[in-house]
Amino acid sequence: MGKKCREYMGEINDYLDGELDPTICDEIENHIGQCENCRIMVDTLKQTVVLCREGKREALPAALEEKLTGLLRERWNKKFGK
Amino acid sequence: MSEKELVARAQAGDFDAFSALVTANKTKIYALAVKMTGNSEDADDVVQDTLVKANDNIEHFRGESSFGTWLYSIALNQTRALLSKKKQTDLKPIEEYLPSQPSQSLDEHSNSKLFDWKDPHTALEDQELKEIIDRELAALPYKYREAFLLKYYEELPIKEIAKIINESVASTKSRVLRARLALRERLAEIFKEQYG
Repeated sequence: MGKKCREYMGEINDYLDGELDPTICDEIENHIGQCENCRIMVDTLKQTVVLCREGKREALPAALEEKLTGLLRERWNKKFGK
Repeated sequence: MSEKELVARAQAGDFDAFSALVTANKTKIYALAVKMTGNSEDADDVVQDTLVKANDNIEHFRGESSFGTWLYSIALNQTRALLSKKKQTDLKPIEEYLPSQPSQSLDEHSNSKLFDWKDPHTALEDQELKEIIDRELAALPYKYREAFLLKYYEELPIKEIAKIINESVASTKSRVLRARLALRERLAEIFKEQYG
């Protein structure tokens, strides 16, 4: 892996998340066009986040919700002397 | 009613105002706890302990962050306490995720060429894929996992994540990147074995 690959590695998240200076983005894109490993690294890092974001959020179980409502109200009343 | 008004009312003893603040945040706290702990039993405990702490300490909330951010901080402290009993390994430095030699001169089967996994949905069932992702996320050391999840699951800005985990922006960025690289590497190993 070349010096450029290492140099860009520290910036790769900012690049992928669209938070990097456009001039450096252009440099990285030029490099990716010439370096197969960096191209694969960029593509699969993108996929990694896409895969993690897939799937539903776990919903709060109804039994826990019910338990929490009772528990919090009880503690609240004790705390505020109601 | 704004969050600020709800907080003021709650701090004055209005349970309905506190309840409204909790309702607006409890589902995302639970979802984060499931991802952080890797199971629903521990997530139940984290959520319960978080909300009880928020209840007991509402007068100490100074409004310097959003109420949701304050709850995230409590929830992650609870998770840390729970997971601190388990041994945590560190991740390797950023540059070690790169192959050691330039790729252009190498053939397809070289160990120095990264595996280009393409779209795993074409080779794996959705459920199998979800289980792999959840398992590998749960295997990340928690200080990396929390930074990664707050960034890419909760979609919080780095500055806010840094505040929640009590780290500098630079350190937070580094943790997010190392988590992403480690996860990518593990997925590459798994996918290569499954359909490479």
